[in-house]
Amino acid sequence: MVSLRLLKYLSVVFAISLLIFACKEKPEKFSLPKLGTAAIDFNCQDLNGQIWSLDKVRGKVVLLRFWADWCPYCRYEMPIIEKYYRKLNKEGFMVLAVNVKQSAAVAGAFMAQMDITFPVPLDPDGKMAKRYGVYAIPTNFLIDRQGIIREILIGEVFREEKVLRDLLKGYFRLG
Amino acid sequence: MLVPRLSQKSKFILSILSILISTLTLFTSPGFGGPEKPDDETILYQGQKLSVKRDPLTKAPLIIRGIESNLLEVKNFPKLSRKEITNTGIPLVSKYKSLLQIEPDQLKLKSAEKISDTWYVSYWQTFHGVILYESSLGFSIEPKGRIKSLGALLYPNVQAPVTSKVSHEEALKIGQRQIKDFKKLKCILLAESVLIYPVKKKNSIDYYRVYAFNFFPEKALHPASVVGGWAVFIDTQTGKRVLYEELLKPLGCCIPEDWVPPKLEEMKPKW
Repeated sequence: MVSLRLLKYLSVVFAISLLIFACKEKPEKFSLPKLGTAAIDFNCQDLNGQIWSLDKVRGKVVLLRFWADWCPYCRYEMPIIEKYYRKLNKEGFMVLAVNVKQSAAVAGAFMAQMDITFPVPLDPDGKMAKRYGVYAIPTNFLIDRQGIIREILIGEVFREEKVLRDLLKGYFRLG
Repeated sequence: MLVPRLSQKSKFILSILSILISTLTLFTSPGFGGPEKPDDETILYQGQKLSVKRDPLTKAPLIIRGIESNLLEVKNFPKLSRKEITNTGIPLVSKYKSLLQIEPDQLKLKSAEKISDTWYVSYWQTFHGVILYESSLGFSIEPKGRIKSLGALLYPNVQAPVTSKVSHEEALKIGQRQIKDFKKLKCILLAESVLIYPVKKKNSIDYYRVYAFNFFPEKALHPASVVGGWAVFIDTQTGKRVLYEELLKPLGCCIPEDWVPPKLEEMKPKW
């Protein structure tokens, strides 16, 4: 009888979790992030089918970047970001380059052309960009290991490698 | 004894649970409803071993990588001028023509940039001189002239009109009418072009020859404004709208030609 009760209990818990799961897909309240506040959670699938969320990168320094292939600035900055991603990834530097409103094929071709290895989550309807208050491309959010937004950088800012380097110096040992 | 106590009722609940769990697993699995990840294949192309990832619909290569060899080695690369570097796509496409299913003369330079000793070159695909929207072929060239891989989004066998039936003026008026409060917002035509717009369907692609317009409200031009604009594509054959999309800054998007990016200082809002 104990096991039957346990099973009933488990099924109730399961039903509740299902409800929560279903609710999660509804659009959440729109809010613009501010410096020094917690980054907004997200759930995005990348080009390889992997799901990315804030929890998944917690404990890492994250460069959350919104970009599109039509944007020339985005193009020029990518190799510089890639260089630091390769250098510091093992030490906890993560780049999530969210492609806004484009297809996986467009984003994939671009990444292959630029030899980019960091994950590219897709935001095909621009919902994630909207939740982050992104109105210009590229926009970069630097999120610290505690999940707090430390920098918001809009437009072409990493063309001079020094800018990214100086930014990361606060978190990593860079000779 | 626990096992015998799992009666019919318990077994029923268990089976329901397992069905629910499997359904949930299926719906949350990375492949469900998301981008399809076509498998890489290894082929022998004119005696060269290559890794190729193809578009599931067009079968055109999305990525080509040389296995144990480079795709191309550009001779005397350090001595080449910028113009010569921007032409490296021609021998590359000539070499892999039957694989890429396009001709070298279909390339139009999109960008060429040297970043940290590496050149990044990319092109549009054209059809009778008209750019295909979002098409691309690009690669990086190492300092010694090596091209190890390429990425592409190409459309073989394009079937599109080569002339326009609707006039530009007419199309522009139709485009303007798509924007609610066009006059009230004092909208400005910031960029325009004629493009081939491929629309992927389940088993085929429709190719539209379109007038592409980017409209922005006047207030969007202010550096600190967060207002975006619109992209409107009008079919050159029927005058019908085939794309209507909200745009983010920078001021101009989607139209590859005739767009001058705003100055850097104009891009940065004052926080």
